[in-house]
Order: sequence, then structure tokens, then C-alpha cells
Amino acid sequence: MTNLEKYNKAFIESFNIGKDKLDGLKYQDIIAWDSVGHMQLMTELEEEFNVELDIDDITDFSSYEEGKTILLKYEVNLDI
Amino acid sequence: MLRLEVVAIPMYLNSKIQLMAGNDKFSEMPALKPLVPFDDSVIRFLDELSGLLIKHPQGRDFPEIITFGFYVRKSSITRLKRSYEDLKSNVGRGVSFHIAPSNVPINFAYSLLVGLLSGNACIVRLSSKELTLTNILCDILSTLLDMPKFSELKEYVSLIKYEQDTEINSFFSSICDLRIIWGGDNTVKELRKSPLPPRSFDITFADRYSFCLIRAAEYLNIKDKRKMAFNFYNDTYLFDQNACTSPRLIFWVGDLENIRKAKEIFWHALHELLIEKKYLVQPMMAVDKYSLSCDVALDYENVALPIAPDNLISRIELESLQSDLPERTCAGGSFFEYSDQVPDKLSNFVSRKFQTLTYIGFKRDELVEYFANLEMVGLDRIVPCGKASEFSLVWDGYDLIRHMSRVVSFE
Repeated sequence: MTNLEKYNKAFIESFNIGKDKLDGLKYQDIIAWDSVGHMQLMTELEEEFNVELDIDDITDFSSYEEGKTILLKYEVNLDI
Repeated sequence: MLRLEVVAIPMYLNSKIQLMAGNDKFSEMPALKPLVPFDDSVIRFLDELSGLLIKHPQGRDFPEIITFGFYVRKSSITRLKRSYEDLKSNVGRGVSFHIAPSNVPINFAYSLLVGLLSGNACIVRLSSKELTLTNILCDILSTLLDMPKFSELKEYVSLIKYEQDTEINSFFSSICDLRIIWGGDNTVKELRKSPLPPRSFDITFADRYSFCLIRAAEYLNIKDKRKMAFNFYNDTYLFDQNACTSPRLIFWVGDLENIRKAKEIFWHALHELLIEKKYLVQPMMAVDKYSLSCDVALDYENVALPIAPDNLISRIELESLQSDLPERTCAGGSFFEYSDQVPDKLSNFVSRKFQTLTYIGFKRDELVEYFANLEMVGLDRIVPCGKASEFSLVWDGYDLIRHMSRVVSFE
């Protein structure tokens, strides 16, 4: 699985949504991505990429796109 | 091998105790070896627990469970562990006996957490109230502890329930090295009837008072008023304003016109949120809120009670800060308000009873500087609005991990 596939999988499984909904998805756009869903997503991503997300990054992680930039800081490149 | 001083619990007392999870051989717990702070076995257990909690199907009904699960996940605990790296020669004190409160049901889990993280065996008395959240968590803890891979750790955990009983309190007090009493002044008083062994001590969480400091002009500049209302809701109504961290006094700072505007917007935004959340004021609470307003109106001078469309938010505007104000508390959304150009009146008002100050429209550093110079006897935490109930290993002025472990000194 590529990094992008893993990234998408975390969203799809945490929020139970289709892949077509991911582009442009923002925090609180859908009911599932509330504060509870956010914690579930963060846990999935930490496990998937074996990283420890900093509390500021967890707070700043406000969209599907923003998350990609944040993960780059942890040397997780989603383009490969 | 059991230590000689082990005293078995009398049968007639044992039969009154209901085991909810873990080890039922209480008398043998003093013989267990203390663990080191952040022991690997504890971190492994917490991580497995975290996985089950975060994905729990009832998580949305009980967000506290998810928040706790998130707090105990491996990366979070590993980060906490790093801030205690200097504790290389510490070990747990032995047996910790926790008396959990009923006002914040999830609290027992955090008490157990600090007990284990600091290296102690934990006997946790849960509130005898029948609470769904407690049952969900106990079921999960029980299932995990019964797994063969956690059989050693199971010996260190007893989650129990019993009706208030001084004899049982005395038994557990007699075998513990550390007693952690939540639940306020009355619970502390009750437990103090039961003596502790000479070297043991109490960590007490007494009745506390919390308030919120808002700079009106800055509040007016905040774009997302709904989010701020939500933060305030999380500090207050989420626990029916019953938590010791829930603000009861709002101290407005600024000029009168800004404060007037800010109050209008602030309370309106909160009211909308309460309607959206379908918050219900129980009949008893409504009576208490009304009677508090009447008492205060009679006892204090120049009190204003703003007219409200319903009884969701009860406001009591004060012209002065009386020293007995912290004794006048009431749950379910009852707020005192006081306004001034500067927060200077706080220095004489803050007593030992003061715990958490939440703030809106201030910078952390300016408050650090401001309060550091005041040298007050009270106030243990200063946190942004919305974070009042966020758990921390430093609580009520205690650094719990350091307090609950023993330092072995070498020279």
C-alpha cells in the first residue's frame, strides 16, 4: 500500500465515508469528523505511520489537505 | 511470599464488597513489589486499553471514554514519560487506596492511571451510584486484566464498589501506603475517621472554587463566538457545572460599554448552544438556582438579576466581591458576574479554596507574570477557556507522579 493509500484508509475507516468525499474535506464538515472522530483519526494515523503527533499538530490538523502538510514534518511523504 | 504484617479482611466485610475488575485478594496486595514509574508493563496495558476505548461503539454517547482512551495511547504516555526522565531512582510507594468521586464519573479511570503510572498497586473504590460509563469501562478493564498476558498486572488492580462503610474504609486504610481522596470536603472528613499506618499519607481533593477571567475588548474581537461558547460549555454544562474545575464566577475586565456588549454576545451564544445541545435543567437544579439568586439578592447589596428567557442560564451580577462568595455555589448553570477595569481585586479575593482560573482574551505569558507577582495562597491552575477539565499529571498543586512515588537517594 502506498502512503497515500494508507492516509486515505485512515479517513475512510475513521469516518466511514467513501474515497470520493476526501478532497477538500474539513474538520466538522461531516458529523463523523467531530472532536471524537478527530481523536479516532489521529490514533489511526499514528498507528499507520508509526509517528507521535505533537499536540499542536493535532490541533492544527483541520482538513484532508492540511494533514498532508503536517505529516511531511514527520517525514511521511504522501506523494510516494 | 507474604509479609508478616498482612491482615486478612474479615469475611463479613468481604461479603459487602463487589469486585468490578481485577484482583480480589486485597490482603495480599501489600506484599506486591512496587513498580517503577512508567513501567513497560503498564504502558503496554494502557496502549491495549486505548485501542479498545477509542473504537468503542458507545464512544459517541460518552466522549469522555474516547478522550481517556486518547490520553492513554502509547504516543501520549511516552511523551509524558519523557518529562519524568529524572525519576530514575524512584519506585512506587506500595498500595494506593483511591476513593473516586461521583460528580465526574470518568475520574476513577484517571486516578487509577496515575496510581499505576507512579508504580503503585491500586485499590479503587468506585462511586456506588449505578453509572453506565463506569460499567462500560469496568467491563473492558476486567476483560483485559483477565487475559493471560496481563495476569501479572492484574494483581496490582482492584476496582471495587461498596456502600459507605467506615469499617471497610478502615480496613483498606490500614493496608495502604497512600490514600487518594476525591469527592470533596465531606469525603475527606469521612475517610479521616480511618487511621493510616504511620508512614502513609493522604492526597486530598477537597471542595474547590474556579472562575473565568474575560477581557471584554479581546472577546469582542474573537471571530468564532460559537466555538468559544462551546469551550465554555465543555468547562461547565458538560458536567452540570459540578466539576471542581467548572467556573462559577465570571470576572469581566474592561470598560463598561465593551463589557455590556461582550456579555450580551457571550450569553446569547451560550444560550443558543444549550438549546442545540438540548440541555435540560433538572427540576431540583432549577429550584436551587432560583433560591441561590434570591439568597444573594437578600444578603448582598446592589445585586442585579438579568431577565432570562428560560432557566438554562442563571446570572447574578455583583457590585462587590464578598469573601463568602466561594461558599455560595450551585450546579446546573448558575453564574456570578463581576466587572472591573483591571483584575487587581483578585489578589485579596483569592483564598486557599481557589483551584482553576480559565481565561478568554489574555495571553498565557501576561497571566504568568501577573499572577507570579501576587503570591496568593490559592489558585493551582491557569488554563484557557475550554481546557478546565483537561486532565494533567499535575493536579490541585500536586505533581502526582512525584508525590505518589518514593525517591531512593544515593550518595
